[in-house]
Amino acid sequence: MASTVIQTHALTRSFGPRRGIVDVDLAVEPGQIFGFLGPNGAGKSTTIRILMGLYHASSGSARVLGLDPFADAVEVHRRTGYLPGELAVYPRLTGRQVLDRFASVRGLRGTRYRDQLVERFGAEVDRPTQTLSKGNKQKLGLVLAFMHRPELLVLDEPTSGLDPLLQLEFATLLQETTAAGRTVFLSSHDLDEVQRVVHRLAIIREGRIVVTDTVEGLRRHAPRTVELTFDHDVDASALDRVDAVQASAWTDPGHLRLTVAGPMAPVLRAIAPLDPVDLFARPADLDELFLGYYRSTDLQEA
Amino acid sequence: MHADIARIDLRLRRRSILWFAGGLAFYAFILVAMYPSVRSDSSLGDLTANNPTVGALLGVNGSLTSPTGWVNGNLYANFLPLMILLLTIGYGASCIAGQSEDGTLGLVAALPVSRRRLVLEKSAVLALIALPVAVVTMAFILLGRHYDLTLPTSAVVGTTVAVLVMGVDFGLVALIIGVLTGSRGMALGLASGLAAASYLVSSLAPVIGWARTVRPASLFYWAVGSDQLTAGPSSTAWAVLLISALVLNGLAVVLVQRLDIR
Repeated sequence: MASTVIQTHALTRSFGPRRGIVDVDLAVEPGQIFGFLGPNGAGKSTTIRILMGLYHASSGSARVLGLDPFADAVEVHRRTGYLPGELAVYPRLTGRQVLDRFASVRGLRGTRYRDQLVERFGAEVDRPTQTLSKGNKQKLGLVLAFMHRPELLVLDEPTSGLDPLLQLEFATLLQETTAAGRTVFLSSHDLDEVQRVVHRLAIIREGRIVVTDTVEGLRRHAPRTVELTFDHDVDASALDRVDAVQASAWTDPGHLRLTVAGPMAPVLRAIAPLDPVDLFARPADLDELFLGYYRSTDLQEA
Repeated sequence: MHADIARIDLRLRRRSILWFAGGLAFYAFILVAMYPSVRSDSSLGDLTANNPTVGALLGVNGSLTSPTGWVNGNLYANFLPLMILLLTIGYGASCIAGQSEDGTLGLVAALPVSRRRLVLEKSAVLALIALPVAVVTMAFILLGRHYDLTLPTSAVVGTTVAVLVMGVDFGLVALIIGVLTGSRGMALGLASGLAAASYLVSSLAPVIGWARTVRPASLFYWAVGSDQLTAGPSSTAWAVLLISALVLNGLAVVLVQRLDIR
């Protein structure tokens, strides 16, 4: 197995006047669950299609399992399971017919693991796919992606349409997959879902990667909120001079809110002389952090 | 090689293939069964024998009531190619552009199958979807000898295969237009227009000078436009039809390899 399962360097794809992706750098290590986050239209699916050899890159390079995803597409596809973002399967075929035919293309002999997945997700495989709900089609797509136990899974919005119980089941399957040494690259715009399952993530916005880090790393950098209550007038300008304090604001007379990103000790030392009657600290809010990245115009690499 | 992608596409069109074949078999049988009643109708025969323009419009060279005139004017010069083209152009337009539009191609293109093989399987389906129609039609025409409708077997077989290859050619044209435009509708429309122009050039060439000049560019001419039911397609006709198929297939492979698939 290659040391790095997915590696891109300055990967760029433009669509004439439409924005594609620009200088995307990614590195996904074996056994990782890598989350690829971004708002709709940020470039997640374009990146994934290039990784799957479905789109050409305008410039830059991509290696998947050590191979060129376009020139070596057959080998990459043999070793990869793929779930597209907008799953479309032949509407007049039943799920079982689709599974059988795709298994035949992949040269799969046994159906035991496939049948286990069907049972596990409660996938409806005996009705024409055109009669299935979005969630049921998604279950079929997940079975198609996992059934050949690929070394790498590339999943575009995998939990879209799944109910909360199935999302939990899917998270369990991901853990089993990486425990077996296999790698998962998944995209999502659901921040809460991703932070529960991924080891490392990248956020893409307007076609550019704005941050790549672990969830814990992001949490360390995420701003915490400290709320102070005073029963007397204070001059809080000393707090603004503390490096870790990003912002301070009086929410109403006697109530000061600080946004802190960094070590807390200098902040506490600056607060003590002000003699607050109460102090309330909230932990880092990843949602806030992510939304900040979504909105931010400043690109950065953590 | 299991040709699973071809098998999926064939399965999806199974019913239409059977209905087309059944319908054309019935039509061919009626045509053959009617022949003893019309073969000695001199007024019907004179309709084309004495009027080359009407003969050209019907694709008949000589009497309409001769065995070749009857089968050409009612089937091989028009109706059989039309039915085969409906199948092949329809499939050619949908097999890449249509499946890309509805999103099913992306899942297939992510399977461990090269794009060259993908195109080859699609090309094979082009021939296979039209094969039952061609075969049952040919079978009923060959049965015509029991109804005084006797045609040279080798010529009938050769012309049937030539029509089939022409259908594949136009199906590949539709496939290529679909790849270039990304639109199933445009592929369907433009390929059908090209086929119609090819038919008109071939059929009107005997009476219109400019059509005669451009006739060699018409695939209809090489398949059914020069009395093939009498002597079978010429070696030039085979060369044109088969080389067209190979060139179009090669072009389709090159274009699909460059295609962005959603």
